[in-house]
Amino acid sequence: MTAKRNWAIFKENLGSQNPVFVQVLGICSTLAVTNVLKNTLVMCLGLVFVTALSNLTLSLLRNWIPSRVRMMVEVLIIACLVIIVDIYLKAFYPEISRQLGPYVGLIITNCIIMGRAEAVALTRPPSAAFVDGLSSGIGYSYVLLLIAVCRELLGSGSVWGVRVLGPDWVNWTIMVMAPGGFFVLAVFIWIVRGWVMRPAQEVKA
Amino acid sequence: MNDRLKEGLRSAGFMFVLSLVLGTCVSALSLATAERVRRNASLFLQRAVMEVAGVPVPKDPVAVEAWFRRAVDAEPAGAPARFRVRDPETGAVRAVAFTCQGRGLWGAITAVVGMDPATRTFREIRFLDQNETPGLGARIGEAWFMRQIEGKTGPFVLVPEGTRSTAPTELDAITGATITSAAVRDMLNGLLRDAARETEAAK
Repeated sequence: MTAKRNWAIFKENLGSQNPVFVQVLGICSTLAVTNVLKNTLVMCLGLVFVTALSNLTLSLLRNWIPSRVRMMVEVLIIACLVIIVDIYLKAFYPEISRQLGPYVGLIITNCIIMGRAEAVALTRPPSAAFVDGLSSGIGYSYVLLLIAVCRELLGSGSVWGVRVLGPDWVNWTIMVMAPGGFFVLAVFIWIVRGWVMRPAQEVKA
Repeated sequence: MNDRLKEGLRSAGFMFVLSLVLGTCVSALSLATAERVRRNASLFLQRAVMEVAGVPVPKDPVAVEAWFRRAVDAEPAGAPARFRVRDPETGAVRAVAFTCQGRGLWGAITAVVGMDPATRTFREIRFLDQNETPGLGARIGEAWFMRQIEGKTGPFVLVPEGTRSTAPTELDAITGATITSAAVRDMLNGLLRDAARETEAAK
């Protein structure tokens, strides 16, 4: 029963309750990091780690957390996990840490993490909270990776730093700037909600 | 003791204990990796110095450190820091590398620049630290940008990206990253000014 329920949560967060194209959360980082695929992947891994573990930790502590300081506790735990990611990257992946610069620290401000902590971690048992955090992170990640592929390809003519488009290709500079992120995200949401999810919504109606 | 006070004390106590536990965990991890982080930073600088001096960089960090100890005289007390890269066999100085700093769009840019002591021309540049916009200013880390100063004398002026200028005083800027490009130009020109001042003082 628990496994079935967790699997349902997992599928929802990847599709019908996706944090990016359904809930439209985490947009700041979607615009900031998706112009380079490598940075996006590391940012996504960091976010999956933080969302899953913050949900698990908060769920384990939920019966002891005084309600008036719950948001302070959430921020404290999230910040601690982000610092752990930052220290780990600095120690074991210094090149990537150098490229990401301040973006790792900005995972703290990602509204998906606080949102899942408030909505799920404080009310559900640890296994469900962990699966919810993990799947929210994965749901966020695959959308960002798709956007990053489009932006890096059009903006720099490359994918994962490898030149893909020929020497005659003129880079679309706007694609590596924040407005490019808005355009690609908007087109992505339009395609997914207008074409992919619409038949399901019409059947429900 | 009334209920409100009790609740307040309980909240404060909970926060104190949680902060203590999490703070201890993060501090322990930071201390455990401090040596590794320091070594990474030092290795990055050593690799950058070798690259701008035109020395092939071995993959093995131990080999890099050994070569650096044998062939490089560091003068970090000076401003900017200076490294004399010698030929390990003959002892002749084959390049001088300087660290320099400039103000980019989002923060400081730190770089190592190589110079040929005989011809007083630039070799390559490597960036140790920068927080420029990925895809725009951060492209100063691309190979063509770092290589373009090789053989040039400066002082530099910026020309549009794609000019691929070989003139000794021209530097291809990065489209959409004027402030970053100008910061790199100013860093290089600042190095030349410092070198001229030093030569003047030595006379």
